Amino acid sequence: MLRRILEQYFIFISLLLLVVFFSFTANNFFSFSTFSTLLNQLPALTVVTIGMTLVLISGGIDLSVGSVAALSGGVIGIASTLLDLPLPIAGLMGVAAGLLAGTLSGWLGGYCGLPVFIVTLGMLEAARGMAYLTTNSQTVYIGANIQKLALPLPYIGVSASFLFAIGLVLVAHLLLTRTVFGRYLVAIGTNAKAARISGIDIKPYMMSVLVISGGLAGVAGLMNTAYLGSADPNAGMGLELAAIAAAVIGGTSLMGGRGSIIGAFIGVLIISVLQNGLAQLGVTEPIKRLITGAVIILAVCIDRWRSGAAVE
Amino acid sequence: MTATRLEIRGLGKSFASSVLRDIDLQLGSGEIHGLVGENGAGKSTLINILSGLLPRDCGELYVDGKLYSPSNMQNAMQSGFSLAAQELSLIENLSIAENILIRALPKRTLLLDYPEIYRRSKELQALVGLDQLEPNTPLSELSLAQKQLVELAKALALPSRILILDEPTAALSNHQVGQVHALIRERALTGCLVLYVSHRLDDVLNLCDRVSILRDGVIVSTSESSALTTDTLISGMSGKALQSNGLTDKSETCSHERREFVERKPRLKVKNLTTADLPHPISFTCFEGEVLGIAGLAGAGRSELLAAVYGLSAKSSGGVTLIDGEEEIAINAPHQAVKHGIGFVAEDRKTQGIFTQQSLAMNGTITGLQKISNAWGWLLSDRERECTQSLIDRLLVKCDDVKQTIDRLSGGNQQKLLIGRWIHSEASVILLDEPTRGVDVGAKQNIYDQLLNLRDMGTSMMVVSSELDELMTLCDRILVLSDRKLVGVFDRDEWSQEALLAAAFSAHTSLS
Repeated sequence: MLRRILEQYFIFISLLLLVVFFSFTANNFFSFSTFSTLLNQLPALTVVTIGMTLVLISGGIDLSVGSVAALSGGVIGIASTLLDLPLPIAGLMGVAAGLLAGTLSGWLGGYCGLPVFIVTLGMLEAARGMAYLTTNSQTVYIGANIQKLALPLPYIGVSASFLFAIGLVLVAHLLLTRTVFGRYLVAIGTNAKAARISGIDIKPYMMSVLVISGGLAGVAGLMNTAYLGSADPNAGMGLELAAIAAAVIGGTSLMGGRGSIIGAFIGVLIISVLQNGLAQLGVTEPIKRLITGAVIILAVCIDRWRSGAAVE
Repeated sequence: MTATRLEIRGLGKSFASSVLRDIDLQLGSGEIHGLVGENGAGKSTLINILSGLLPRDCGELYVDGKLYSPSNMQNAMQSGFSLAAQELSLIENLSIAENILIRALPKRTLLLDYPEIYRRSKELQALVGLDQLEPNTPLSELSLAQKQLVELAKALALPSRILILDEPTAALSNHQVGQVHALIRERALTGCLVLYVSHRLDDVLNLCDRVSILRDGVIVSTSESSALTTDTLISGMSGKALQSNGLTDKSETCSHERREFVERKPRLKVKNLTTADLPHPISFTCFEGEVLGIAGLAGAGRSELLAAVYGLSAKSSGGVTLIDGEEEIAINAPHQAVKHGIGFVAEDRKTQGIFTQQSLAMNGTITGLQKISNAWGWLLSDRERECTQSLIDRLLVKCDDVKQTIDRLSGGNQQKLLIGRWIHSEASVILLDEPTRGVDVGAKQNIYDQLLNLRDMGTSMMVVSSELDELMTLCDRILVLSDRKLVGVFDRDEWSQEALLAAAFSAHTSLS
């Protein structure tokens, strides 16, 4: 128990150190407007990372989330402009598109037993293609209405999107740690064979976790569209890799069985604090990426070292 | 006998307990020497030490009078050893030729010389009777018997002074066995020492010049095979003369009173079950509160039977029916089995049992989460802690806290918790595959007590074990499998170690 708490805090302390570091080195980093801007960029990555973490814990991977988010955005754009549907309906259609993509991946990867890596790699391509088809390869301008979701609310400085993402983090955290469903995901990810022998029918779980990830990618599409005010079929490129990076920094194992939603969210925060902080220091894009890459690898090294120490 | 080729002096080896003690053997060049013994007698350990796969604890080895102390398989090969292993050492994705010659693939400068590889492979294939197959056939297309012959050809590929064959004929037909034996004799005539390990006692007697019997890590006798019969071999292996009444004393020292079954209620029915691994239909019934043992040699299909009953492997025909009160329920998958109160403790704790890096609570309650959750699937951590604590107390699991990870428990304590899983979920039938493998003696007795307590409360069990003592301590009846056939069912009053062994060997000793 104590170790669990320490592990959580370890990541949290790293985040705080990073914030302190940039507060002293970069002018204006420690300010309301910086944090407001920073947090309001996060919702899409946060919800995608939630899904990714659940998939990784169950021993799978979902490479398609970035494309699926773009597809969701495209559906929302077309539904709200060409079809002239009210925004809530259009938003739901976007999420539904994500759920549909997740269901297809989940069925192929979970039920039919195809390798999840390949299935979701295929979905990464296919959903991107669908996003182009839906939007006719054009960015669809939606307007100020949808942007209300992404604008900072008065007094608190964060957007409705961000609050919703935080809500999802909490729900997913409880789902993972406090429900039978979450316990089964951990069991399957730790040792699928032992899980099967323990009487867990693993296929429906392998499938549903991909459905959840697809649905969350759909939500991320909505948040991204709201942030931009338009549906860009090129949106979400590389989002899956950012999500994996955040999950890993947050202590999730790519081998399955181990990870935490809260940790992954802190991973998201670390990545964006790092990028914003470096930008404010005037570091160029190539150097930023170099440093981000090093931090990801460093996180895994520290994690390996800590779990190695735990085993001893 | 000619000059001594291999001499073993005072060889000993122990893992948790002693596995080999004071092994002394002098084997001549050109000799074919048989090695027989029950499962766990130490045959594999001896072979592994000779071929450099395991270090020895004490004793010396001499090859042609020179001290021999291998630290790996390369050393052994350089000293002229060649091994055909029982667990085939072949690579499925490579061709026959590549597998046979893998220890020294012919090369032309940097590239593999395939014409030469195929030519050499053809020669060796002809030796073992595989000449009808193309050398470039992928190994994965071969039957088990053909693979076994490839393994043999691989052992023959390099010139060797000492050839060790571990169950080289287990999957072969009689005709193929004859061919392999002729080949072995030919090799021996060239002065090669052959160490021949087999469960086929007739073959051992026919082929070998002398036979050593290994029992509990000790060589109990080495005799000319002309002076032996299969009966003397079996009594030598089990340590009891055949004419004795057979009943072991162990069963009487057991503290648990055996209940007489006045009216036996069937709990689990298996009818004409066949799978890919078990081609011959198997039928039996396990009764309420009964411990049903499954005995047999390695490879007899014991674990396969247990896996098929649990729904882990696909059944080709027949099926398993659970009798739950009046209702009969067909079992086709593990989650169905578990739902209806069947549990399974797999042989390999590490890969099929425990959830590493997870807590004792997680490991102990995973099979019965409904008991620690509410109707909404919400886990109740108090209930989880209570349930796990009660398991730990009941099974005397040595640990600090229910939240500690299972990795830090000893094998015996892990095993107790794995059995505890099914106590937690209140399984009415528990299938156990080698329940005390890798468990120290103290924990072993504790596990026996727990299992017998469960039985007394009406839980039915099926136990697979390589140790006949274990089965005779635990079981009410024992099924014996031989060569994947059910060859006998023994009640307590009709079994004896040698009767069970004789049945286990029956498919291999065609004459008796």
